[in-house]
Amino acid sequence: MEFLQPADWAEALAVKAAHPDALPIAGGTDVMVDLNFDRARPGALLDLTRVTDLTDWGTDGDWLRVGAGVTYRRLIDELAGRVPGLALASRTVGSPQIRNRGTVGGNLGSASPAGDAHPALLAAGALVELASVRGTRRVPVTEYFTGPKRSVRTPDELIAAFLVPARPGAEQFAKVGTRNAMVIAVCSFALSLDAATRTVGTGIGSAGPTPLRATEAEAFLAAELPWETRGAVPESVAARFGELVGSAARPIDDVRGSADYRRHALAVLARRALAWAWTDPGGAV
Amino acid sequence: MTITEVGSARRRKEDARLITGRTTWTENVTLPGMLHLAILRSPMAHARITSIDVSPALETKGVVAAFSGRDVADVQGALPCAWPVTADMVHPDRPPIAVDEVKFMGEAVAVVAARSRAAALDAIAAIEVDYEPLPAVLDMEAAIADGADLVHADKGTNKGYTWVFDSAEAGTGGDAAAALDGAEVVIKRRYVQQRLIPAFMEPRSVVVDPTGDAYSIWSATQIPHILRFLISVVTGTPEHKVRVIAPDVGGGFGGKLQVTPEELIAFVAAKRLGRPVKYTESRSESLVSAHHGRDVIQDLELAARRDGTVTGLRVKLLANMGAYMGLVGPGVPILGAFMYNAIYKFPAYRFECSGIFTNTTITDAYRGAGRPEATYAIERLMDELAAELGLDPMDVRRRNWIKAEEFPFTTVCGLQYDSGDYDKATDRAMELLGYDELRAEQQRRREAQDPVQLGIGISTYTEMCGLAPSRVLGSLRYGAGGWETASVRMLPTGKVEVVTGTSPHGQGHETAWSQIVADQLGVAFDDVEVLHGDTRTSYKGLDTYGSRSLAVGGIALYNACQKVLDKAKPIAAHMLECDPADLEFTGGQFRVRGNPDGGKSMADCALAVFAAHDLPDGIEPTLDADAVYDPVNFSFPHGTHLCATEVDTETGRVTIRKYVAVDDIGKVINPLIVEGQVHGGIAQGVAQALFEEAVYDADGNLMTGTLVDYTLPTAADLPSFVTDRTESPAPDHPLGTKGVGEAGTIASTPAVVNAIVDALRPMGVNDIAMPCTPERVWRAVQGGAA
Ligand SMILES: Cc1cc2nc3c(=O)[nH]c(=O)nc-3n(C[C@H](O)[C@H](O)[C@H](O)COP(=O)(O)OP(=O)(O)OC[C@H]3O[C@@H](n4cnc5c(N)ncnc54)[C@H](O)[C@@H]3O)c2cc1C
Repeated sequence: MEFLQPADWAEALAVKAAHPDALPIAGGTDVMVDLNFDRARPGALLDLTRVTDLTDWGTDGDWLRVGAGVTYRRLIDELAGRVPGLALASRTVGSPQIRNRGTVGGNLGSASPAGDAHPALLAAGALVELASVRGTRRVPVTEYFTGPKRSVRTPDELIAAFLVPARPGAEQFAKVGTRNAMVIAVCSFALSLDAATRTVGTGIGSAGPTPLRATEAEAFLAAELPWETRGAVPESVAARFGELVGSAARPIDDVRGSADYRRHALAVLARRALAWAWTDPGGAV
Repeated sequence: MTITEVGSARRRKEDARLITGRTTWTENVTLPGMLHLAILRSPMAHARITSIDVSPALETKGVVAAFSGRDVADVQGALPCAWPVTADMVHPDRPPIAVDEVKFMGEAVAVVAARSRAAALDAIAAIEVDYEPLPAVLDMEAAIADGADLVHADKGTNKGYTWVFDSAEAGTGGDAAAALDGAEVVIKRRYVQQRLIPAFMEPRSVVVDPTGDAYSIWSATQIPHILRFLISVVTGTPEHKVRVIAPDVGGGFGGKLQVTPEELIAFVAAKRLGRPVKYTESRSESLVSAHHGRDVIQDLELAARRDGTVTGLRVKLLANMGAYMGLVGPGVPILGAFMYNAIYKFPAYRFECSGIFTNTTITDAYRGAGRPEATYAIERLMDELAAELGLDPMDVRRRNWIKAEEFPFTTVCGLQYDSGDYDKATDRAMELLGYDELRAEQQRRREAQDPVQLGIGISTYTEMCGLAPSRVLGSLRYGAGGWETASVRMLPTGKVEVVTGTSPHGQGHETAWSQIVADQLGVAFDDVEVLHGDTRTSYKGLDTYGSRSLAVGGIALYNACQKVLDKAKPIAAHMLECDPADLEFTGGQFRVRGNPDGGKSMADCALAVFAAHDLPDGIEPTLDADAVYDPVNFSFPHGTHLCATEVDTETGRVTIRKYVAVDDIGKVINPLIVEGQVHGGIAQGVAQALFEEAVYDADGNLMTGTLVDYTLPTAADLPSFVTDRTESPAPDHPLGTKGVGEAGTIASTPAVVNAIVDALRPMGVNDIAMPCTPERVWRAVQGGAA
């Protein structure tokens, strides 16, 4: 197996163009598992850990741009106020060791329907920045996932960064798992309420072939929330929102949980996330 | 003798090397010319091997040899079962490598020996095997129905044995059937003890070094002595030509109480190739092929009067043996048989257990072995009885349990419980939990229809441990005795070497044994070295399992110390020019009674013996002594565990809010070690209640073959435990100690499940299958409310 170790971003893109089948490795917390289980035997590994551009973050106009190589640990420590939903999700990832190594770029690279970063990125209306020697493009995360572990990324492209609005809404994240740490979610849900634009964002994890948005639920809630008065959310609205989130999911039965339970639990998580986000916006709305 | 060490919370002297890994684990053993083995395992639960070709593996780089079960069929022997529980038990030969047929997923089918582990792993992928699938037998009840497919076609049945105990027949109690017929109340339930995986931290590993006609075997095993004996018997190698070394071993929980296919495969390979070989399993191999535990269906009938007095109990079990009989697998439910009556004065009892073959990994001892199952059943039933009668579950227990003044108490099984005080432990536990306040809060939350309900779970347990009186084991048809050995050797400089027949794999024997010796011989804790696990130094012993090491091995050690003192006394008297009868041993010195000055220490005696220049006439110049102790009875620790859970009725999520454990394990040698055993034990029992289950699909594929799907709990899943102890010294033990290794696991599972059911009982829920995952709890709420 070849081990390719570009020193900077330009070289990384050039190497990827020359070896489109080389498997990028960032934190390695997915890649090494695949190698150990002999699920992947790539001809070459493309090590991105020396590419410092990937570990930067900063603002870019109305957007916050976060390099693909920023770890969960750093998201929690440095960016909790700017990406509150994603930081909440990051806290639930793996264990301290995994959070020290694992990156959002890697989560997007794996594109697993259970990736915990994905619902929060969906709810926040994030963009994924893909780059190759041919150029750079920014894809809405809603269009990024094409199937289980598949995305629009082409073989010569690398993930450079993700972007979220620089001014976040009130965000929440909730997850049901079979234990409290080191677990693949049975289902997860992220919510973002943006008072300025009066819009609602949602993201559903582990309950479909890809991470999903509940668009009907978003539209319903945006229309029903008492944005003006900031009064309590009527119980019927919360319940209907939960139902719509549950019915937006496309879950299957597997060893971790049944489709029925996932839909039901999503409805509960959605209702609760709404209550938290509305009453305790964390100063963001 | 002056007690300063026993009872002190010494940090474990072995931990620095164990935690840093700078020690000899079997995997660290590297010998010149050593080859590495990899094992090809069956991907099917049940199939005929129609052809197998290992030759492509031989063409792979670095490979030295490859062989299938057929290639070694005549020399590989069969795996032993040491506990044929009935005279007519069906015991099919279990080849280490499958020959014609595979009978469970993960069974070995071929082996490669190569110069590196990587080469061996690559080569097994090249082996070609054709399988003709056979029907997989998975469900125990289907397995014993008429016309069932068979695991072992030549045996004509999937039933391995049926073992019965009936108190009326045994003359130890009344007739359970009669009690049930005439009962005012009968509680009838089926509980399922799901299949569990011991999941010790260090994967199993074995190295075999053939030198001349002798073999040295390093193995990550709990049972080096038993392994030596059985390797000798199974392979026909003279016992004195076999040396087994269990170096440091990283956990077992019963999972390394086995003679494994891998050990025999390594032996056969080393013998064939004339070179040392090593095999270390991966975590995935461990989960699918190391023995599993539990997997029992319990049909239970409890007879009682309306005042809550229990009048009889009938238990009928189906115990899944897996595809073959393990080393002690058939006996595991039998160890539980004597515990269904638990701490109670039941007048009549009948127990019947059938061991069933299925196309799954074998089951065998797992922490508690039979006793957690029994304790779960009875502690769940006591709650159900209380609910049925509208009584407080603790009151129902109190009404039935043995009172402190009634010890020693002979139970309906004929066991004699040694000592205990159930009221005292229970009162303390209730106080620590804040039982009454929590009941009041529970009531408030019920009335407020809080989506998160509160439940309180009780488990008052006892267990029989300290395995075991040899005669009792013999009467149960167990293949070995239950004694234990210790040797104490005084070195010339006054240091002490202790050789124990127990085989610690994380328990802290080096520390506890040092504390005992330090007090008995008046030497410093650090001056004691404890040797174990190598049959060349520790040539005799029966190893570590069943909470026996201190309860049995500790007495052997104590007795060996007394012998050393007896030998030293005349020597000290000679040096002090007095009569031995005038000497006493206090503060580490032999002194003339009444004279605090001018004593002689063990070190003085040791040096005198070493020089041997001036010893009394006829004295053998040694202070070394051996002792072998065969216990007169089991030891019966007990305790009360209480658990308060919050149950989210909308998501089904269970959170343990508070967990209180008050254990009575007699006298304590080292409270820190006890605390560790209790914490770990509770974690394992909670794991059964909430998290762990080995699941097979309809074709017999293990679906929980990684630690992502086999959900061991993490620290984040467990609360802080509130622990305390009461102390009823063991009357048969000179130090008063009982066993503690399994207590937490035995007690905690029913405490947690009782708490969940208690939270949901107003919603009509009276049971939830383990593990109580959020989904199962939610479904119970749905079903209960409907
Ligand atoms: C014990 C354990 C627990 C875990 N728990 C969780 C959890 O709770 N929640 C969760 O979501 N995940 C979990 N994971 C999975 C994993 O940690 C995450 O998916 C993580 O985000 C992967 O990041 P990484 O940097 O380690 O990726 P890597 O393993 O390095 O890469 C993952 C994939 O992304 C590709 N890739 C990485 N960087 C780039 C890039 N810049 N451009 C293009 N492709 C790229 C790689 O080629 C690979 O296909 C867990 C993993 C383990 C081992």
